[in-house]
Amino acid sequence: MSLENDPDGWFDRDVDWEKLKAILVFMVPGLTLFAIFSVYPMVYSVGGSFWVWDAFDPMHFVGLDIWVETFQDEAVINWDNIKELEYPMGALPQNLIWMVIHVPLSTFLGLGLALLFSDLRGRRILRSMVFLAFTTPTVVIGLVLLFVYDPQAGIFNELLRTIGLEGQVRNWLQEPQLSMYALILGGVWVQTGFSMLLYSSALAGIDPSLLESARVDGASRYRRFRDIIWPLVKPVTAVVVIMGMIWVLRIFAIVYAAGGPSGGPNGVYSVLGLEVYQSAFSHPIEYGRAMVVALVELFIALPMAYYIARMD
Amino acid sequence: MTDTPHTDGAAESETGSSRTDGGTRVRYDVPDTAPTDDRDLSTRLVDSLPSAPRAARYAIAIGIALLWLVPLIGLFMASVRPLSEIIQGWWTFENLTITFENYEQAWNYESGPMRQALVNTAIVTIPAVLAVTLLGTMIAYPFARFDFPLKTFLFFLLIIVMAAPPELVAMGNYNTLQDTGLFDTYMGLILVHIGWGMGWVVMFLRNYLLGLPKELEEAARVDGASRYQIFKSIVLPYSAPALVSVAVIQFTWVWNSFFFPLVFMRSQENKLAPQVLPLMKGRLQIDWGLVAAGSVLTMIVPVLLFIVLQRYYKKGMVAAVAD
Repeated sequence: MSLENDPDGWFDRDVDWEKLKAILVFMVPGLTLFAIFSVYPMVYSVGGSFWVWDAFDPMHFVGLDIWVETFQDEAVINWDNIKELEYPMGALPQNLIWMVIHVPLSTFLGLGLALLFSDLRGRRILRSMVFLAFTTPTVVIGLVLLFVYDPQAGIFNELLRTIGLEGQVRNWLQEPQLSMYALILGGVWVQTGFSMLLYSSALAGIDPSLLESARVDGASRYRRFRDIIWPLVKPVTAVVVIMGMIWVLRIFAIVYAAGGPSGGPNGVYSVLGLEVYQSAFSHPIEYGRAMVVALVELFIALPMAYYIARMD
Repeated sequence: MTDTPHTDGAAESETGSSRTDGGTRVRYDVPDTAPTDDRDLSTRLVDSLPSAPRAARYAIAIGIALLWLVPLIGLFMASVRPLSEIIQGWWTFENLTITFENYEQAWNYESGPMRQALVNTAIVTIPAVLAVTLLGTMIAYPFARFDFPLKTFLFFLLIIVMAAPPELVAMGNYNTLQDTGLFDTYMGLILVHIGWGMGWVVMFLRNYLLGLPKELEEAARVDGASRYQIFKSIVLPYSAPALVSVAVIQFTWVWNSFFFPLVFMRSQENKLAPQVLPLMKGRLQIDWGLVAAGSVLTMIVPVLLFIVLQRYYKKGMVAAVAD
């Protein structure tokens, strides 16, 4: 971390009230809003998770009771189904499964597309075509997936019919054991554009003459990738993976739009965000439980935050 | 997936496509006389065509890019066709009827008309973006230039908010807005968006300002300019490209955001466009045309913004996370 940005002390020579006042004038307006609407509610959730709530009002302190209850809740973790490897497994494992499948797929696809497009004419247009879904509202993405997987009007099923798999035609978002993967595929569709964009900019920084001389020296494609390209795009991979994980952790609108607030039939593709929303804002209101689930999300995000801070 | 395609030297240099992305550009001296080309037209045409493996790469690349667009093309097609034709498949083109009835319906949709919802979205998005950009720069500037107490602590807070899920602040903000009477108001949602966006905006602008040389500011300081004058006449103008990037990305995120409006906007006349879309699904048979038209109306603003300001958008996306 480089927080000493003024090594020569030019700005520090006048440690005075004038400077301190200026810093305050600059920072107080924004930090006030940041404190009230971001920091305070986070602290509120941490504290509130140890209380019993009557709807939106804290009643009394109960320690870890709500934490224990939440982890025994089948909607959060369903141990029996996990043993059978059957959905619904609960929002927490499902969210993690989403991450484990989604992140590598979107990362490698993004790298692949970045390499494929890297020196083609019109690569800007090609990249924009792939990136477009990422600028689309996620709620629209969810509805688009609903449309794509529709048994009648959906193009995915039409594709199956065309290649002679009529027997496989179904509503892919109503199949308890399959719909998770159908949605993950949709998530990968969206996020590949993002990782492709980051990889493209990293690839643009590679000196073409380096690759050219390696080629002249007879290095194979694989060798050129491994020895020249990969070391240069490796740092980007870390960023792509972290942003992908945060993206999956925050997934909400896609699932809500595709399967309603319950996350599909029986919650087979419910995720942590939906679980928080359900507990906090639909009857019966369980504010404490919502806070616990949201904090579980935070715990998963903290190592990523730490990594971002270390990168600096 | 190949890295270098230079398998066809002659044709490559003819088409000039050997320039690689962002690489060094070769400058040629301009000769006094035009070069004479001793090849006839047909040879030149053949030479300028890409070689077979390269042509295959073009085909694959264009194919994949189109494949990526198919779901969105489907959405657009559904928005301009009647339901009876959508059910038959939007990809069939016999008896194609183009209609704007879906748009009309979405525009006047009873439980949240788009004409109102889009205006609401703009009313929330524009001030939220402008405010967070200005306030964020004001925090980022001292962050990049001075040392002050609790700086490290603040740094970590900002990063935690960057990585934390928005659900974490929903409960506290719900109660705050209820207590202050700002629940279900534009102002309430705007404030939540400002507070929540501050994390990444400050981190992004801080990184940008760290990369700007301090000499100009120092010179202005020596000349007797106040810190506020320096901020206004040096820092702000010089960070204009970064400010545009921040504003464009933040605009897309706030416009597209679904969770915060869902929680904080309840009455029908206050609903934002993304909130209305899932309602359009209806109960039994989904009216795809209506859903698609509403979706297109909602996404048209961020998509146009992306197309027009692509440069800033992409630069910001890359810089926001990759430096």
